[in-house]
Amino acid sequence: MTDHQIKIRIEGLSFSYQGLSILNNADAVFSENAISAIIGHSGAGKSTFLMILNRLWESTADARMSGSVQIRLNGRFSDIYDSAYSPEQLRRSVGMVFQMPNPLPMSIYRNIAFPLKLAGFKDKKIISEKAEQTLKQAYLWNEVKDRLEQDARKLSGGQQQRLCIARSLILQPEVLLLDEPASSLDAKSSAIIEELLINLKKSCTLIVVSHYMDQVARIADTVYELSDGKLKIRL
Amino acid sequence: MGLFRLNKERIAENVFFLCTVFSAAAAISVFVFMVILGLPLFAKGEFFTLISGNWSPRQAMFGVYPMIIGTLSIAGLALLAAFPLSLGCACLIAVLSPKSFGRFLQNIVRLMTGIPTVIYGFVGIFLLVPLIRELFSSGSGFCILSASMMLTILISPTMILFFTDSLNAVPASYLNAADALGASKVQKLVYVMLPCAWKGILSGVILSGGRAIGDTLIALMIAGNAIHVPHSITDSARTLTAHIALVIAADYDSMEFKTIFTCGIILYGFTILLTIAIRMLESIGKNHE
Amino acid sequence: MNKISEIIITGFCRMCGIILLASVFSILGYVVYKGIGVINISLIFGKTYVLDAILLKKQVFDGLFPAIAGTMMLVAISVLLAVPIGIAGGIYLAEYAKGVSRKIFGLFSDIMAGIPSIVIGLFGFSMTIFLNRYFSTRMYPCLFISSMCLALLVLPYIIRTTQAALESLPDNIRLTAIALGATKLQNIRYVMIPKSLPGIFSGIILAVGRCAEDTAVIMLTGVVASAGVPKSLFSHYEALPFYIYYISSQYTTPSEMLRGYGASVILLVICLFFFMLSFAIQRGLTYRSLYRA
Repeated sequence: MTDHQIKIRIEGLSFSYQGLSILNNADAVFSENAISAIIGHSGAGKSTFLMILNRLWESTADARMSGSVQIRLNGRFSDIYDSAYSPEQLRRSVGMVFQMPNPLPMSIYRNIAFPLKLAGFKDKKIISEKAEQTLKQAYLWNEVKDRLEQDARKLSGGQQQRLCIARSLILQPEVLLLDEPASSLDAKSSAIIEELLINLKKSCTLIVVSHYMDQVARIADTVYELSDGKLKIRL
Repeated sequence: MGLFRLNKERIAENVFFLCTVFSAAAAISVFVFMVILGLPLFAKGEFFTLISGNWSPRQAMFGVYPMIIGTLSIAGLALLAAFPLSLGCACLIAVLSPKSFGRFLQNIVRLMTGIPTVIYGFVGIFLLVPLIRELFSSGSGFCILSASMMLTILISPTMILFFTDSLNAVPASYLNAADALGASKVQKLVYVMLPCAWKGILSGVILSGGRAIGDTLIALMIAGNAIHVPHSITDSARTLTAHIALVIAADYDSMEFKTIFTCGIILYGFTILLTIAIRMLESIGKNHE
Repeated sequence: MNKISEIIITGFCRMCGIILLASVFSILGYVVYKGIGVINISLIFGKTYVLDAILLKKQVFDGLFPAIAGTMMLVAISVLLAVPIGIAGGIYLAEYAKGVSRKIFGLFSDIMAGIPSIVIGLFGFSMTIFLNRYFSTRMYPCLFISSMCLALLVLPYIIRTTQAALESLPDNIRLTAIALGATKLQNIRYVMIPKSLPGIFSGIILAVGRCAEDTAVIMLTGVVASAGVPKSLFSHYEALPFYIYYISSQYTTPSEMLRGYGASVILLVICLFFFMLSFAIQRGLTYRSLYRA
């Protein structure tokens, strides 16, 4: 793998959370425009690992970290814990989708436009163009185009999750982190999401936590197992 | 044996029930007693004159209108100042400051709710009043402004705790969503937390308003107690509550004395309005979910 | 939202915090600063020997002892009256009342909680007049009437905390004894009340603090500026908060004013002590706030 193709590089990473050691001097690289799956038994710390990549764990105390996490953003590698990026700016380039869909208590349209509002976009025309584009990208446009003003919480579970994915995509992040994105959904919705993720590869680097081995087999290009404080490549 | 058991259950339930009825009965009796003793006023059909008329004993006018204005201006001013103050502190505690400082501030606020009211009044007399007197170089310093300032400090702690609880009750999933999308703390506060918490915030304002209207000591000790319709915040004023405390020592059979029951009924009326407002607010939420 | 708005908002909130802290520290600091120097035995017991005063052999004329004793007796009797009724009411509302009756009683409880203390004092005064006219002309505002009214004042607190404590018990605790064949009363008595005791106790202690600091109710129902230690339930009495109020308007010498500060410090310590005790007890459980938000 050449440097050109590496998106995320982890070196000597140790992380402990609430006294429990999750990573111990771990090294790993993740390639660009690919789906990398993270597996491991429950409690091993897979979700926590994702939160290291977008610095979300800093919102809760009680954790300690050492080592470096470098992500190639805008063409250049930088340590995301260095102050080149504020955590807020980082999260616009590294998006996250949670296990349980978490639409905000607003309309579908305002949900998807929310990140644009946070980033300071004001032009209504551009906002609605981007919204439509992203909803199409998330395979949701046809189902909601006639009811954009409806409360997002009224959508079905699968639709809500696609909305959350769309919401994370609207700022065109270079990396997307997904924590068991289909585990709370039925088989049909799950299949739609899998197809969605494969399609996203060309514009994005995806890191997916999953404990469904068949799903992993279907979508992942590389598989990492989180165990004993290390990330090991599994074929 | 089984029958005996059943009786014990029944007796216990009835005893519990009676105690509950007792507290309801107390609420009603308070009202009834005031009406009965204030009856002479109603008998003359003068209740509305009393509420809206001015106070002028020589002309046998015993309207409590000046006291109503006194109560509303002092309580209103206090609420006006306490609301932004409390909201700012609550935001500070819940979101904007580092966790340890937030906890510290919250504990100080909790401590403040245990401070006796009479101490606020006492400090008001010896610390605040001379200050206001200096600042405005007119009047004695015993005025609406001083009383409202002290009242603001009195009602703010409960308001702050209320607001903080409402902000902390925002579901974690919304907070996670906002964080992951790169919202800053202020953006999260303004776009997600405050809109979710508006109901609790409004309840807090209503409850504190009730507390401000019903407070006796601060107005009694600091507001000056002159009976007239005040024209500026440096005027002395008398509240409904202070009026009751002052007139209680007057001659029992006089008309002046009976006006305290008018004040009592008005205050009770406020209480009922406030309670109904809170109940209605609670039921709005229930319909949504 | 741009950077400037964010800075303004953050700045505003910080300023509010500073204003609040400045106010509370200056108020408390001022009282303690002025009053701490006056605190000594003679402030409380005057020229009387401590032992004589406590054993009620001699009256204390120029000390705070009668006021402190009055406050203590007031609190004790009020709490004794309010606690059984309050707990019983709380149990009924949490466990037995359903539907409309629950709403109605809850409404009355809320109204009771919202009534200004001076109105309750007025009620006590009215009761006294009533009893004086129709039962015994020897009935005057006294310790008993004050205690009764204070009990009414804190009754809603106790009902509410008991109700909240019971309602916050998780379902599995609620159903454990029932599944083993216990009756409703047995469940309440052996399982639910013991588990709710911390919440109930903290409500009681809060009520104690409330009784100790109240001035408006007692002003209308029997407290006076000097009466010595109360001789019976039906006599006049002194109380600490009233002493402070009285001194603030009737002091004639600087030393009297200082005694007011001393009394304030003592009252402050008593109330804050009870308050912190209540909070410490409450800490031990997951407990929704006192106000049903």
